[in-house]
Amino acid sequence: MEPPIYYLKAEFIETDTGNKVSRRATIAGPQNIILGGKTIISSGAIIRGDLRRTGPGHAVVISLGRYCLVGEGCVMRPPYKTYRGNFNYYPMKIGDHVHIGAGSIVEAAQIGNYVEIGKNCVIGKFTIIKDCAKIADNTIIPPNTVVPALSLFAGSPGRFVEDLPESTQDMVEAQTKQYYLRFQALER
Amino acid sequence: MGPTVLYHCSCLSSSPLPPPPHLPSSSYSFHPLHTLFFCEECDAVRCNRCVSIEVSSYYCPNCLFEVPSASVRAEKNRCARNCFMCPNCRNTLSVVPSDPPDNGGASSPIGSLNEPPFFLYCNHCRWDSAEVGITFEKPTGLAAQLQKFEDSAPDSLEFERLKEHSEPFLRASSLSSTIGGHAPAHPSSAAHSHHAHSNSITAAASAALARDIPGVSKYNPLARSTSGRGGSGKDRSKNKDEMPEYRSRVEISKPSATGGGGGEADVELMSHLEDIGYIATLEQRWVNSWVSPLQTHELKPLRIPLHSKRSKRCPACAHILIKPEQKAQSVKYKIKLVAATYLPAITVALPHSQRSSAEAAKRSLAKSTSAAIDDDKNSTSDMQAGKTYPFHLALSNPLYDPIQVRLSVQRMHVSTASSKDGTSSEKARRPPFAISLPTSTFSVAAFAEAWEYEDDEDMFGVDDEELGLKGSLATDGRGKLRTVGVLEKRANVTIIGGEVVIGKEARGNVKFNMLVSYTYRSDDPAPSESNDGDGSSISNLKATATKQPEVKTFAFYTVVDLGHIIPREESRTDLDL
Repeated sequence: MEPPIYYLKAEFIETDTGNKVSRRATIAGPQNIILGGKTIISSGAIIRGDLRRTGPGHAVVISLGRYCLVGEGCVMRPPYKTYRGNFNYYPMKIGDHVHIGAGSIVEAAQIGNYVEIGKNCVIGKFTIIKDCAKIADNTIIPPNTVVPALSLFAGSPGRFVEDLPESTQDMVEAQTKQYYLRFQALER
Repeated sequence: MGPTVLYHCSCLSSSPLPPPPHLPSSSYSFHPLHTLFFCEECDAVRCNRCVSIEVSSYYCPNCLFEVPSASVRAEKNRCARNCFMCPNCRNTLSVVPSDPPDNGGASSPIGSLNEPPFFLYCNHCRWDSAEVGITFEKPTGLAAQLQKFEDSAPDSLEFERLKEHSEPFLRASSLSSTIGGHAPAHPSSAAHSHHAHSNSITAAASAALARDIPGVSKYNPLARSTSGRGGSGKDRSKNKDEMPEYRSRVEISKPSATGGGGGEADVELMSHLEDIGYIATLEQRWVNSWVSPLQTHELKPLRIPLHSKRSKRCPACAHILIKPEQKAQSVKYKIKLVAATYLPAITVALPHSQRSSAEAAKRSLAKSTSAAIDDDKNSTSDMQAGKTYPFHLALSNPLYDPIQVRLSVQRMHVSTASSKDGTSSEKARRPPFAISLPTSTFSVAAFAEAWEYEDDEDMFGVDDEELGLKGSLATDGRGKLRTVGVLEKRANVTIIGGEVVIGKEARGNVKFNMLVSYTYRSDDPAPSESNDGDGSSISNLKATATKQPEVKTFAFYTVVDLGHIIPREESRTDLDL
């Protein structure tokens, strides 16, 4: 029923696993970023895979699951802190079916599955967002906050507002899949 | 906001018919499909307003620790570990060592060198507990370290005293309620009678509710229990009102003694006030059970209140509709009977607004004029009075069997309803709009897991293209628009076309009640048994034993809101501009 969302074929790179990454997005340190498949990175997004943990060897900085959406102008930056006198970045893990609205800044340590983050949010450092949670538009989540499963957070600072319905998981799954199907290339 | 479809739950009224949709109060009877439950026993829709709720587990929303129910009461429903809330902004506080934050520069002061004493620090408003003189020797077990302060606080002393005072009374009434045995006699309370045994407070409450009121005849669901009641009722009434008068620990009329402020001291403070921020806001103060300090700099950190996971039961038959898994952060359910798995999901769309927005999106890609899209959307998504618009209803079948659906618009009593308030507007006497829907039944194919396969997206894409082609061909071939009827079938979705004719003087929203009845092949062998449910359920379950013995019909009401009507005058001024 929903109308398709068109994009110019030339603007997006589609990978074998169905990820669609805008050429106008800034992907720093792509070797440290994992996309699960069928994930869309919109134009203007900035993903800082280069801010990796110090030390030798390969390090995954940001991992996104399947059917995720990073909205236009989002900034994804791994959290950092000084622990025992050493400054370090820490990895960011994002589950499946996670939508992040346009203009949001995410520095979370962990985001579960089926999470919706609205537009123009700030998700503070080391925030943990559990499964099926929802962050309303324009919410500021301070650093080190824990957002429990199936809860809606809103405001500045973001606070618990209400419990989400039991069928949230099914709905978010259907929505994110539908969004991926609607996101079509405009052939010309 | 696009057009919406909401589903009716009849729990608020005694009649199964939904209220007229133009009344503002009707919104309380309609819910989005995903918030509704379905009781298989009663064969009825249930909503969050009518289900009965039981707490299945408690957890702290910050440390996500599952708190056993015994310690929930001991800790007054708050987290007994390291979780505190900022008294200023309600954010979670974090424990930081006392090495000064400025040596870290821009970075956060968390855990650089770990020097005691520790204090609580708010990452959002920069409040810290050192301001109110609370520091800790070690960064763990903060609640235990604060316990002695909290135990000596006037509110907890008062609460302990009150608890002590009512203890013998509670014990006596819990005893009498279990002996009196009225709880097991009531069929629906049999399920939570074990609560009455364990929880003396519930017992006291139920005993108080069930006690004899002079001059009021006792309500009794079962006649035979009256005779057994006489004896127990007597001894209960004997110990009922023998509660000694409670004297509070401190006189509340002398608040300055408790540090609660008030009177002269507050006036003095207010007259020397320089910044409104020095006074704690109402929101900061009224969550506490005791008089809390008036000044912001005296507020104490708050322990985080616990959250709960709840299971939900049908109000009529007490069958469980929702039962969460024990683990606090699991989003799985042992039992989950939601309406979305029983009733067809209906979405509504206005093709004229959809088409224009899709075209606008295409155009904006070509020309990248984003301002033009907004203009287009505003002008086309609304409907103008005096015109006719088609609309599409997409029904998707969640069942594994095909269903036969019939839609009908509820006779609207607009004439009668508006005559009540019709003194203001005599135009409203005529229905402001007319809805035409296909009257015959149509089928919606069964839901099959195959449709869920991930590689069918090409097919979906092709379908969308075909839809556009088909639509245009159909209009060209017949010469006139075919809008009412079955437009398309694919997978488990059938799209139905309808039409709305809006009157010239219409205003408000195009909103109408629609009865959806569907027949399906049932696996339930004994449909007659569930037929004797309460009369308030909207289900008109019938076992039609004509051709197939297991065919069932279920009907439910929905309200369809197509959107706002632009009145005539307004649209004309728009054109002038």
